[in-house]
This record gives sequence, C-alpha cells and structure tokens, in this order.
Amino acid sequence: MANVKYVSASRVYAKDTPPAVNALDLDIQDGEFMVLVGPSGSGKTTALRMLAGLEPLDGGRVEIGDRDVTFVPPKDRDIAMVFQNYALYPQKTVADNMGFALKMQGVNKEERDRRVREAARLLDLDDSLLDRKPKQLSGGQRQRVAMGRAIVREPQVFLMDEPLSNLDAKLRVQTRSQIAELQHRLGITTVYVTHDQVEAMTMGHRVAVLSGGNLQQCASPRELYENPVNQFVAGFIGSPAMNLQTVPMVDGGVELANTVLPLPGPIQTAAKGAGLSELVLGIRPEHLHLANGAGELPGDVILVEELGADALLHVRLAGTDSPVVARAEGRRPPALGAHVTFSVQPDDMFAFHPVTGARLAG
Amino acid sequence: MTVVEDLAPTPRVEVKPRGADRRERWQRRLPLLPALIYIVIVTQIPFLVTVWYSFQNYFWDQPGGAHWAGVSNYSTVFTSAAFRSALLRSVEMTVAAVIIAMILGVAFAVLLDRKFLGRGVARTLIITPFLVMPAAAALVWAGPMLDPNFGLLNWLLEPFGVHHVAWLSTHALGSVIVVMIWQWTPFMTLIILAGLQSQPADTLEAAKVDGAGAFATFRELTIPHLRPYIELGILLGSIYLVNTFDAVRLMTNGGPGTSTTNLPFYLYQQVNNAFDVGGAAAAGVVTVILTIIVATFALRLFARVFQFEEAGS
Amino acid sequence: MTAATAAPIRTTSEDPRRRREMAGKVGWGVVAWVVSIAFFLPVLWMVITAFKPESAAETWPPQFVFRPTLSEFSLVFSGMGPYLTHSVIATIGSTILVLLLGVPASYALSVRPVKRWRDGLFFFISTKMLPIVAAIGPLYVIALKTHLLDSIWLLIILYTAMNLPLAIWMIRSFMLEVPSELLEAARLDGAGRIREITSVILPITTPGLVSTALICVIFAWNELFLALNLTITNAATMPMFLISSVPQEGLYIAHLSAAATVASIPVIIVGWIAQRSLVRGLSMGAIK
Repeated sequence: MANVKYVSASRVYAKDTPPAVNALDLDIQDGEFMVLVGPSGSGKTTALRMLAGLEPLDGGRVEIGDRDVTFVPPKDRDIAMVFQNYALYPQKTVADNMGFALKMQGVNKEERDRRVREAARLLDLDDSLLDRKPKQLSGGQRQRVAMGRAIVREPQVFLMDEPLSNLDAKLRVQTRSQIAELQHRLGITTVYVTHDQVEAMTMGHRVAVLSGGNLQQCASPRELYENPVNQFVAGFIGSPAMNLQTVPMVDGGVELANTVLPLPGPIQTAAKGAGLSELVLGIRPEHLHLANGAGELPGDVILVEELGADALLHVRLAGTDSPVVARAEGRRPPALGAHVTFSVQPDDMFAFHPVTGARLAG
Repeated sequence: MTVVEDLAPTPRVEVKPRGADRRERWQRRLPLLPALIYIVIVTQIPFLVTVWYSFQNYFWDQPGGAHWAGVSNYSTVFTSAAFRSALLRSVEMTVAAVIIAMILGVAFAVLLDRKFLGRGVARTLIITPFLVMPAAAALVWAGPMLDPNFGLLNWLLEPFGVHHVAWLSTHALGSVIVVMIWQWTPFMTLIILAGLQSQPADTLEAAKVDGAGAFATFRELTIPHLRPYIELGILLGSIYLVNTFDAVRLMTNGGPGTSTTNLPFYLYQQVNNAFDVGGAAAAGVVTVILTIIVATFALRLFARVFQFEEAGS
Repeated sequence: MTAATAAPIRTTSEDPRRRREMAGKVGWGVVAWVVSIAFFLPVLWMVITAFKPESAAETWPPQFVFRPTLSEFSLVFSGMGPYLTHSVIATIGSTILVLLLGVPASYALSVRPVKRWRDGLFFFISTKMLPIVAAIGPLYVIALKTHLLDSIWLLIILYTAMNLPLAIWMIRSFMLEVPSELLEAARLDGAGRIREITSVILPITTPGLVSTALICVIFAWNELFLALNLTITNAATMPMFLISSVPQEGLYIAHLSAAATVASIPVIIVGWIAQRSLVRGLSMGAIK
C-alpha cells in the first residue's frame, strides 16, 4: 500500500515570514496520479521536496504507506524523483546513471543490467544510447533517461518536479501522454508538480491547486473546472482563463456593460447574506454566446485570435475598461472593430466574494 | 509507443568570414603579435645563446673567453653523478610536494565548502602561506620554526616525545618539501574549491534520493567532477614547484652534502661557484629537453585541461 | 479552503535529522578552524617573533609573553629604503607591461581567435615550463653585454616575460565569460574591434584583470632567483634585502623575523584586502 499523506505539513524559511507551505493536508491514494499545480511561489515544489526528504518539515508530518517518514532520510523512503533539469550524473554513462541507485542498494551487476535494459525498452531508449554520456544526448533523450532512472528503482512513489518544462512544445505534448500512459501501466503512486494547468488537467486523476503556500482546492479536473471553490481556482484553471469582473449589485442582479444582468437565486441569496454591494462575476469564454444583436451584453471587438477550429474574441464591453475573452466559431468570426452582443445563461455564471475570493453559491 | 526521435544538437561552429578572409586573418593576428614577439625575444634568444654556449668552453675565472668544445660539456653532464643526483632530487621533491599539496588541497577545499561560522576568515588564513615571500618563508621555517634549540616545532612536539631535533640536518629534504607543500597547498585548495562549487546541486540531491551516502557521493560523483580541476592544479603546480630555488638556497644551501640539491640549485652552483658557463649551459639544455619530454607526455595526459577552456564565441 | 492561520512551528531540537546536521556542521566547522589556525601558525609566529628583542627570541621554551619592542623593525626600516623602491618599480612596471601586452594577446586567443589559438596558448605556457635557471649563465652574459646588468629595466623586462604566459591564460578565461550576445549586440551597433574591447570587454573583465594584476604583483614582488643573480646594488629588490639580513655568523632570529615580516607584509595585506579577486584569479574565474 503506497498511499501518501500530508498531515498539516508546514515549511517556514525564516522566522516571521509567511510559510512556504502552510499546514498542507492532502490524502493521495495508492496508484493515484496527483498533480500539484500553482504559480511560482505557490509552494508546490517545496511540498514535493518535503515529501522527498530534501526539505525538512517545520510542522506536521508526512506519511508514505501509512508510515511516518518525516524524519526518515530520502534514501530510506523508497521514492524516486525526476528533477526539473534532470540532474543526470554527467560523468556516468546512461546505463550507469540509470543503475546508480541499484548499485547503491548492492544489487549485483547482472540484475542491474537487466532492469536497466527493461526500463530503457519501456521508454523507447535505444540500446546504443546506454553507453553514451548525458551531454551527448538531446533534451528529450535526457528527459527519458531521468525517467528511466526513477522507473528502474520500482519505488513506492514517483516524484516529478516539472519534468516537461525544458522540452519544446511539441515534445511536451507527446511526452505528456507517454508519462500518463506509463503511470497507468505501472500503477505507481505519482506526485507531479507543474505550473502548467493544461498538463495538470490532462494528466492528473486529481489536481491540488496551491497558491501562496496554501491548498486552494483538491479535486478531479472536471470538478475543478465546473465547481471552483474560489476565485483563484476559477481564474487559474481553464484556458483561456475565466473572465472575472468586479461588478456592482443592483436591483434584480448586477450591472455589466450598462445592462442589468439577472443573477441566479442562490447567488443572490448568498450575496445578500454577506451584505455585499458588489461582487466578482465570473463567466467562462465559451459561455459568452454570440447573439446577433439580440444579446444582453454589447461590446466592440478589439482583437481576434484565430485558432483554426475556434476563434478567441477580445471584446471591450460597453462601459468597461478591461476586455473579456469569448470563444466563437472558427469559420467566420466577427471582424476587428465590429459591434457584437453576447448572451449568457444564468447557470453559467460564477460569483465570488470581492474580498475573500470565496465562491458565492447556494 | 512511437516516439519521434529528436535529433542530437549540432555543435556550434564558428563561422569564419569568407571574402575578406586574408585581411580578417591578419586583423586577428595583430593583437597577438606584441606579446608573441616580446616573449620570443626575451625567452628564445637567451635559450639560443645557452645552446651556443653549451658547445663552448667558457670559464669566467679564466682569461681568454669562449672556445669551441664540441660535445664535451654534454658528455660531462651525462656522466656527472652530481647532475643525475640533482635531477633525481628535483623529481623527488616536485612529485612529493605536488601530490601531498593536492591531497591536502582537496581536504581543505572540502572543509571550506561547507558553511560555518567565520568561514571567510578561515579561508583568509589558509590562503596566507601562498602570499608569504618564498624567501621569507624559507628563512622563517629555517629559523624560528625549525631551529633545534629555539624553534617552535620542537616545542610543539615535545609532549610527543620529540626532543630538540635538528630538522635541517637530519631531515633536510623533508623540511624543504614541507615548506614547498606549505606554500602551495592554498593554490591547490582554491582550484579544487572552484571545482566543488561548480558542481550542480541537483545531481547531489539526486544522489541523496538514489541512496548514496556522503562517502559514496564523494567517490562516485565529486571526484570524477573534480578531475579536470585536479589535473589543472597538478599541471600548474608542477611548473612552479620544479623551479623551487629559494627554499633550497636559504634553508639548506643544497646540503647537508648534496642531499637537497635540486636542478635549479645545481645550475646556480655551476654558474656562481664553478664559473663554468659552458657546463652550466649544457646542463641547462639537457634540463630543457627533459622538461619538454615530460611536459609533452603530461600534456597528452592532461589534454582535457585545454579542452576545458574551449573558445565559445 | 484557505488556511488563515499558520501552523505551530517545530524547533530544530525536536527534529532528529536537523539536530544531527547541526552537530555535523559545528563539528566540521571546528575542524576547519583548527586546520586554518595550524596552517597559519608559522606566519603568526613570524610576526610575533618580529616584535621580540633578540634575547627573547632565542630562548627555550619559546616565549609567548614578552615585552614587545620595535627595535628590530627600526633596524630593518633603516636599511631597506632602496630595496623597497626597486621592488615597487620592478613590480608595478612589469605588471603594467604584462597587462598592455596580455590583454590584446588574450583577445586574439579568445573572443576573435586566431586560427591556431591552441598552438599559441601552448607556446606561451611552454615558455614557463623551461626552467629559467637553465639560462641564467647566458642571461648574465647578455645582460652584461647590453649594459643592463644590475638595472631595474632588466628586472622589469624579465618579470614581464615571467608573468605574461600565466596572465594570458587567466585573462583569456575571463574574456571567454563575456556573453556572446553582448558582443553580437555591439557588433550590430557598429562597434569595430577597438570599440568592442574598450566598451564591452574591458568593463566586464575588469574584476578579472584586477585578479590577474594581483597574481603578477605577487610573483614579481617575491621573485628571488633572477634578482639574486642579475643585480647587486642598483636594482636589488626586497628578497635580496631579506638575504642580506641573514648574517654569516650567529643567529639573529628576531631580526630575521622582522625583515621577513616587512618584506612579506605588503603582498599579504594586498592579498587579504583583494581576497575575492585573488580567489577568482587563482581558480581561473570559477569562484566569484
């Protein structure tokens, strides 16, 4: 059983500064692919390193397989880690790199070679590469060697620290699916750190969103997308990002683009209950529907980004400063400068507390 | 699982401009010329003159100047026990000093690599022997440190059963080598320290995760990484240590007997005491030839050191 | 689900791993200090002994507590004038010449390299491998015939040749660190070679040049062999002065220590102050 638990885990670098990781509580199931996502400084890498044993815990504890490993050194935690810059041993061959941990464990040469070759095959690393040194390899090959080094150990947990960030875009997309497939095949519990929410959404069974050292929400990708628990998660997950506007409350709803937009009942109740005179309204780009003149929200197109299948319209709504982004049909999008109107379904609206960012819902 | 094989990166090749090729080449050579010409004149001319004199009989204290002597000076050198002994001594002293200084250098560098209270001051103290004038170092060690009756070392070693040892008489060679090591360990330390600090931190972390303890990490990762630095230190250190003169002249004057006479001191004696310019010149030429042989051999071994400093632009 | 309050912090003493790390750190720190002091001891002893009257220097056991006196120092100062001047001129003169010759040469071996830059570099270093001692006889004769014997100019010329190869190696390694983008940008802005050197390379490599100059100063100031054989009075340098303090008969430990201290102090102080520079130079620019 290789589940992972963070129990109120904290890391503080200097006294009287905000914690890098603040009392993190996370339960990761055996065999699960958990992604830690967030902007830089959110504490995701620190949290991963705490699990690895490379950062001490200033509070709380970490468990692997129901065993408290808080004070256990990295080598005794039965984990393997893929580093952001791969951290391959420069003077060793690929085979020696991959077999290093086994050598440290005292595994004999034959067994080491067998497992290295097996891992190499799994990762599509040609046998001829086994005798090369890292500097002779391309970026993608090095990345695979780094993964091979981790796989060979057959650990209880895989830790990955932004392993795709140094690859070019196309390779990244390819390798993403390979990693997901590999994890599925091997069934090893994986904790994966990234700042790229697309990676998080496509790879993780569950995704934990962090910001400023605090866990914002941990749920499946779909759940995060459809039910963000606060403004941060709503604005972070989804590309292009959710449109967020601070709007004043008026009779019957909120005022946006010189129009009164009626709010769904539950939101109204929550807002009134909190005594708010304004709130942050969130609408996803695909929920702004182009209505030929019949929509409630008028605006002018200031930029059209054509993506082929769809187009993204940047529109300045009447009476607002910052533009909103709307998704439209790719075939014949409105022209630059055109005057358009949008309609939006009440059920597609999100509302957040203007100060705390918490979701206002029923 | 199909993978689009990514191409290995092509090395950057410096584009030499065509067309204005010849002019460009001379423009590039021009800045080099002053230093080149200067060095050639100041080092090669004396060397050529040395070769000339090596074929002459020329004694300062005798009237008449220089006479052609053929290869008699050379046969004297090759049959001279004194020359061979000085050569042997040079090799002994240089090898011992370089190796021990390097070992100490690695040890000190490892100590200085960790953070501790007052690390900067400790480093300053360790560097100082390199800054001390070699002549001063020789005299201070010979007198205040190693004197049999008043020296500090004897006093420090007294609890260990050492009594008033006359270091420069009984352990002359060792004493000289100790001073050589004392002065050059800081140099080795700094070069190795540079190597230690250039080691990427994440590979050390990866080793931790992979189960390597401190010794294993040092053996498997750090020493291979330090190899070019160690070679650089040995190369540069040898170049300077083989020419050690001050310590020999001022501590033991080559003695007792000739037990500490190395090549530089031997040549000095030939010129200053024997006034034998021809003989000294021949011995000098032989020394140079031997040095070239050893150096070529060593550089082939240490070719890495030059690749180390590849021109990037 | 934002946690509003920070969790209680565990102190180091409660974490067995960190406790062990701290103990290790302190332990090795102590070892490092013991080693540093032991290594520095001869220098310390030299300076202490310099303040002793001769009677206190030749005792058993060696004295650590005594009445310090400047008598040996005043003897030293009274004799060293011309030697000091000669050392300063030879050192500074040769170092300036080294920089004047070395900077362009390094440029031609690094930024805009000559085709056979490896051979060039090898040639320069090879001149250091040939022991100067081998040519001392002929050098004496040449110096005699060119009327340069016992002349400060001879020392400047020879010290320059002595330091130039190392200086070129060092300056070259510093020039290689100039980011190529800066050079390309300068070239795009129309900078010719001279401009490239003065506006881009020199400002960036200035710390490296200082380190190189420092190393040249150290080697030139401390040089004994050439000075001993090729000078007598008109160009005799501090190392010569030091030798002259050693009498033929008898022991003059305190006097010797005072002379040694005075001779070494300038370079030691400069080395301490510019320590960073020195470290950078000796490690070929690898440690900043």
